[in-house]
Amino acid sequence: MTDTSAEPDPVPTIEVGELLRAADRGEPMVLLDVRNEDEARAWAFEARRAVATVRVPYFDFIEDEAGSISKIPSGRDVAVICAHGGSSEMVARLLAEAGVPARHVTGGMVAYGEYLEPVAVPLDAGEASRFAVWQINRRGKGCLSYVVASGGEAVVVDPSRNIAWFADFAARQGLRVTRVLDTHVHADHVSGGPALAAMSGAPYSVSAGPGLELHHPVLPLDDGQMLWVGGQAGAGIAVGVLFTPGHTPGSISYLVDGRYLLTGDTLFTRSVGRPDLGGKLDDWGRTLFTSITGRLAPLPDEVVVLPAHYAGAHEIDANGVVSARLGHLRRTVPELRCRSADAFVASIRAGVREPPAAYEEITRVNLGVGSPESDAITQWELGRNECAVSGRHAGAGRPER
Amino acid sequence: MTVKTLDARGLKCPMPIVRAKQALDAMAPGDRLEVTATDPGSMADFQGWVKVNPRARLVEQRQESGEAGRVLYIHLIERTDA
Repeated sequence: MTDTSAEPDPVPTIEVGELLRAADRGEPMVLLDVRNEDEARAWAFEARRAVATVRVPYFDFIEDEAGSISKIPSGRDVAVICAHGGSSEMVARLLAEAGVPARHVTGGMVAYGEYLEPVAVPLDAGEASRFAVWQINRRGKGCLSYVVASGGEAVVVDPSRNIAWFADFAARQGLRVTRVLDTHVHADHVSGGPALAAMSGAPYSVSAGPGLELHHPVLPLDDGQMLWVGGQAGAGIAVGVLFTPGHTPGSISYLVDGRYLLTGDTLFTRSVGRPDLGGKLDDWGRTLFTSITGRLAPLPDEVVVLPAHYAGAHEIDANGVVSARLGHLRRTVPELRCRSADAFVASIRAGVREPPAAYEEITRVNLGVGSPESDAITQWELGRNECAVSGRHAGAGRPER
Repeated sequence: MTVKTLDARGLKCPMPIVRAKQALDAMAPGDRLEVTATDPGSMADFQGWVKVNPRARLVEQRQESGEAGRVLYIHLIERTDA
């Protein structure tokens, strides 16, 4: 970071959340991305409406200030963004000195990748009187966590590692975290599950699959089990445990009150979870086919799928939610229209992409092995998730930093 | 030919480039500057910077392992007489 202690005038800043809200509303602005070309191309700031973005690396400003400034369209608010917030501050200061008002985005793309936006999932009146579901959208990565609440109790599903945020969110809603669940051993981000559970005094459950060892204290779950939130049978709501292996051998979907299916990385709104990360594409792919076509078969078309990831802001609906009816996915997701496991595996094999960045390191941590430094995890988690089989779901390659 | 060194370990952008520019400006054409950084983004930053700085040529970039398993990114830059 730039040493600002000697600077008389602080550079105006804009927080990631404020920038996202302004960009989502379509407010006229220019985003000036001052990262190097590789990073800017690999992972871009994205909002629900297109953001006018100009890319001029910060070192261009160092070598040719006037020429660089001339590339910025005039007459609109300028927000400067870089990787961590250091270079954007330097450039915003140069712009201010040149008479171009600009703010710099606090924390840069790292802060964008960590930012969490809670959105209430719309329920019908009968449901809303009994429970609530929040989708916690990690906008920069396309990762989705959930808070399911009834009778003052909260179940947190797939929390990311910013556990203070989840604890604070529950407290502000007047909820006590009574259970923490992961849908699977994640490969794209470090889970906050074990730490949030320990902090809340709640049990933590995840399954690595048969024969795979977890090094966390875990409360095992059974297929078909009912987890009660807000009281025992009758008083609260039921969260059903449905084993849906394939993306990982231990993947679980959670069915909230019979209608909201938290699918993890089994099923997304445009694709299915990639079954290749264990190096057994054929084996895990067939298992995934059985889970999706067999295990989910009894569920009605009206079931609302709430996945753990999405590819881009175009998947966020008018309510701000990423979701789809199961019936819609049965008709529209190409992999779900495969007639046989062979065809399913063949379609996945044809489109298989590079594995996500640092997935082996991340998976090890989520199995409870090792405790890396926070900076290392930040580095591993940069960029959008790449957990789906298809590019319909995920963004471009991996950036550095 | 003189080779100067610049320790940019622990510095995040823009400081490795800012310090390298200051050092290079004070050097004679033909002299070299070896910058040791810990920011992985410095690899692409130095590549981009020399494209727009007519007085700098990137001779070599390499990675070494530093203390506590930390990766060091080493950039060797020559001051040119442009």
